[in-house]
Amino acid sequence: MAPPTYDDDDFVDQYDDLEEEEDELSPEDKVAMQNGTAEVRKALGVEAGKVTVTQIQEALWHYYYDVDKSVAYLTKTFIAPAPKPAPKKAPEGKPGAFSLPANQALFLRTFGEDDESLGHNAYSTTVCDIHRLACAFPTIEKPQLSPTFFDDMPWLDIPRDRETVFIEPPRPRGGLMGGTGAAPKVSKLQALAALRKKKNEEKKAQEKAVPLESEVTKLSISDTNKENIGPISKFKDQSSQHDSTVASTLPAQERATTSDNTGNSLGEDTSLPTITEYKPDADIKSEEAKPVIGHSHAPSAFARTLFGSVSEADETRRRDVFAMPYTQSPSFLANAFSEPSPDDIVLAARAKAGKKASAAAAKAPKKSQKSEEASKEAGLASSVSSLKVSDAPPPKSKGLDVLKEFEQSASKKNASFVVVGHVDAGKSTLMGRLLLELKLVEERTVDKYRRQAEKTGKQSFALAWVMDQRSEERDRGVTIDIATNHFETESTKFTILDAPGHRDFVPNMIAGASQADFAILVIDANTGAYEKGLKGQTREHVLLLRSLGVQRLIVAVNKLDMVGWSQDRFQEISEEVSGFLTGLGFQEKSVTFIPISGLNGDNIVKRTEDAAGAWYKGPTLIEGLEASGPSTVRSLKKPFRMAISEIFRSQQGTTTLAGRIDSGTIQVGDALLVQPSGESAYIKSIMLDTEAKDWAVAGQNVSVALTNIDPIHIKIGDIICHSTDPIAIGDTFTMKAMAFEHLMPMPVDLHRGRLHAAGQIQSIAALLDKATGEVIKKKPKVVQPGGVARVLIKLEAKVPLEPGQRVVIRSGGETIAAGLLE
Amino acid sequence: MADRRRVNGPGGSSLPPVYDDGELDAVSRRQRAPDAIRPLYLKTGVTPSASGSAYLEIEPREGEYGSGMKLACTVHGPRSLPRSAPFSPYMVLSTHVKFAPFATKQRRGYLRDSSEKDLSTHLETALRGALIADRWPKSGVDVVVTIIEGESTRQDAVERRVEEWDVMNVLGGCITVASAAIADAGIDCVDTVSGGVAALVAGKDGDETSIVLDPVALEHDSILAACCVAYLPNRDEITNLWFKGRLPSAASYNHQSLVSRAVQASKGTHGLISASLSEVIGNSQN
Repeated sequence: MAPPTYDDDDFVDQYDDLEEEEDELSPEDKVAMQNGTAEVRKALGVEAGKVTVTQIQEALWHYYYDVDKSVAYLTKTFIAPAPKPAPKKAPEGKPGAFSLPANQALFLRTFGEDDESLGHNAYSTTVCDIHRLACAFPTIEKPQLSPTFFDDMPWLDIPRDRETVFIEPPRPRGGLMGGTGAAPKVSKLQALAALRKKKNEEKKAQEKAVPLESEVTKLSISDTNKENIGPISKFKDQSSQHDSTVASTLPAQERATTSDNTGNSLGEDTSLPTITEYKPDADIKSEEAKPVIGHSHAPSAFARTLFGSVSEADETRRRDVFAMPYTQSPSFLANAFSEPSPDDIVLAARAKAGKKASAAAAKAPKKSQKSEEASKEAGLASSVSSLKVSDAPPPKSKGLDVLKEFEQSASKKNASFVVVGHVDAGKSTLMGRLLLELKLVEERTVDKYRRQAEKTGKQSFALAWVMDQRSEERDRGVTIDIATNHFETESTKFTILDAPGHRDFVPNMIAGASQADFAILVIDANTGAYEKGLKGQTREHVLLLRSLGVQRLIVAVNKLDMVGWSQDRFQEISEEVSGFLTGLGFQEKSVTFIPISGLNGDNIVKRTEDAAGAWYKGPTLIEGLEASGPSTVRSLKKPFRMAISEIFRSQQGTTTLAGRIDSGTIQVGDALLVQPSGESAYIKSIMLDTEAKDWAVAGQNVSVALTNIDPIHIKIGDIICHSTDPIAIGDTFTMKAMAFEHLMPMPVDLHRGRLHAAGQIQSIAALLDKATGEVIKKKPKVVQPGGVARVLIKLEAKVPLEPGQRVVIRSGGETIAAGLLE
Repeated sequence: MADRRRVNGPGGSSLPPVYDDGELDAVSRRQRAPDAIRPLYLKTGVTPSASGSAYLEIEPREGEYGSGMKLACTVHGPRSLPRSAPFSPYMVLSTHVKFAPFATKQRRGYLRDSSEKDLSTHLETALRGALIADRWPKSGVDVVVTIIEGESTRQDAVERRVEEWDVMNVLGGCITVASAAIADAGIDCVDTVSGGVAALVAGKDGDETSIVLDPVALEHDSILAACCVAYLPNRDEITNLWFKGRLPSAASYNHQSLVSRAVQASKGTHGLISASLSEVIGNSQN
């Protein structure tokens, strides 16, 4: 950067006495000046003696040779009564601009020379004209360094003599660069610290006085030596040294270039290119005749670093590992961090102790006092080691033998039944009446329902409302979803599953039927209604019951009071239905026919009081129920399976699932798996009806509270099972199906309990004999109604289904087949 | 109590460093002969992963920080063209010249600017004349020149606006280094093309014009015109010619003289390329 140029008058003042008079006026200026001077003198006349030639010329210079103005100025300044001090002198050269001469701009010169042959670095600092330091910008000349200067420079431990000395540039005078120029204001505390530091330094200096003094003298000598050396002589000095270094490195270069000579000879090619044939003058010709010799120079430090071969000298000097400065500290330990810190050890120990205590605390209340005493030592250790890390510890399993408990339990039998039948056959009313008769529903409640029903003109629905709680069901007067209720007799606990009769809600009926041990088929004995029912859902429901494996059936011939307790009617219906049922494979002995009146409550708990119905000597409905009991063999020893029929979510992070246990046993604390989502959970509690239990077995309708699971992973129809013995999920199944309608490859819905999945019949593998199960025909195109076939079903989603399970296939709102998974 | 809510300036005044690389003094004047080029350092095979590569370096004069140049060139290929490219019976040459962001006093961007694209075009023209492209049908070669250090790194160069002249030197270096890298890659060429620069410079007072080879803009008061050629010495052909500036009308110099001087400079450079290449061959034979 060029030294800044100033047009500041203050600065100019400083140099007034230093400036040499340099006549840099151009010839025209000179002429103009001479003429001007003459004219001014003429104009001044007598007064001319009072001013010098220089002053005149000054004035002329200022006023651009305007004689009149110059005269006026001179008169006013020098000749007028009150003469003012001499005008400021304008600088020579370009008006308004001023540049420092190089020889005066230079105050401080750091001059370095690296003489490698001697292996000696001489830096001498010349400080000249120190009193001018405050006057102008100092400039520091960069030391002349040979390119090899940094070659042997180590990364660390730089030798003293190679270190540079930073000379702080003196501050400009008078706040030229902004700021006040004065030293920054110091606080009292800073001043105190500075004072203390100064004192300390003085003390040290006194101790070192002798060596310092000698150095000072040295310095002064060198100062005097170099003080008077002008920049030019310095330059000479420098260049001579420069030459010497060049000379010293020259042989090496020459050696390098001698091999290039063959290459360079190309440049000496005397046959000049054709384009150079035209030469304007001989001078250029001779110049061009001279060959251009390109020299190759040694690679720079950068290039050598990049691709220089590793020389031996470098090899010896280079160390693979540089010792970090802190390693020399006496408190440095190489292996300080190779093992856990004391803090870590303490924390770990504390965590361990806390775990032990909590484990002991959890165990303490559950164990009896005696066994705790005995097994404290061994038990603690084993329990601690078996503790698994988990966010929330799973509920403790009591490790019960559920089967034994079940056998020992003196509890009543459990049985669940589904009430099926055509729509408006009186299923819900029958159940309402049953509950009312059993005093499980208050008379008051029914009265209330009756009043409410009267308002809407559905007087006869009052009892049905006991079961149909939902407003939609009450408005429409039909059952939509399964209604569950419990009652118990002296011998058995019953679960009622009130199934909808409407054809639109057959899937719900399937869900109910799959949970039932046996069924009550309600038939409307009214003329016309019975016939309609037999063609409608009576028939479909019976088919479904049969295909879902319900074997025990109570046929309640309802509304017999409407036909005046006609025995003929009852007999007619009984025979017809009985024939139909046996045709479907129900056994004669497991079907009971009971004439009832749901609305009035005849033959339900009490025998009918109507004289017209006195002919009936058979059991009442409740007797029939008690006689039925669980008909299906309960698969207690099979793996645990439970289809979820309802989900209740609570805020406490537990999810309660309701359903009937299909097979196996569970107890509190068991680890479960929800399929098909595959999420695991723990059983927190089990509710059977309304009481909490520690265990539950197949056939029971239970509510299971789960922890450790997000309810979004559970949906109705999912299967829960033990995580040790999970149910497989799949989307392709082979099944033996009994067709109710024509079967062919077509889209279907697969139902199993609450679970239903869309899919399609992919192929029909074979047509089977109904009785023996032998293959009649392979790959039939279509299966006729009543035929049995082996079909392959592919579902759109993966569902938990196992071989041996009964499923129903529906399509377009019709049940078209039922079958067994293979 | 000091004001802690604001960021206060420093208590005292601060001083920007002032460097003494001041005027164009005698030291920074051109000291070589007008027909001498600066010594070069050229090394091939510097990038192992590339097909061919070269490194060219022009060191500033002893103790000077003014004008040096460091160029690295890598040649990738010849390799098959991408499937998307249309069929070409010749080798497709693509050149990329890029200044490193720190190469010049004024930082360069990471994306190629127009001057770099211009240099790329010049370099492509220069190389295309030397390559025997029809020996490599359906293939492409990429020549990438990275300018690690530009010609003038001093503030002076920015202030005096001599960068435009330095571009000439950079192009000459690019041609030379690319030629060496192509030779290193073993791509067939009619000759090793070499770059050379000559300039018509004016003396102090605007007179005393003279032609110098390998001009360094900072060493002269003013450069009137400059010419950069890419020259094939053995065939005596010029593949690329870049002339810049205006010749004084009254001067006894014409364009041809300047071009012929540039050719002379490139001849000198050519010697260095062949020396460097023959050194490599010598090493591999030993």
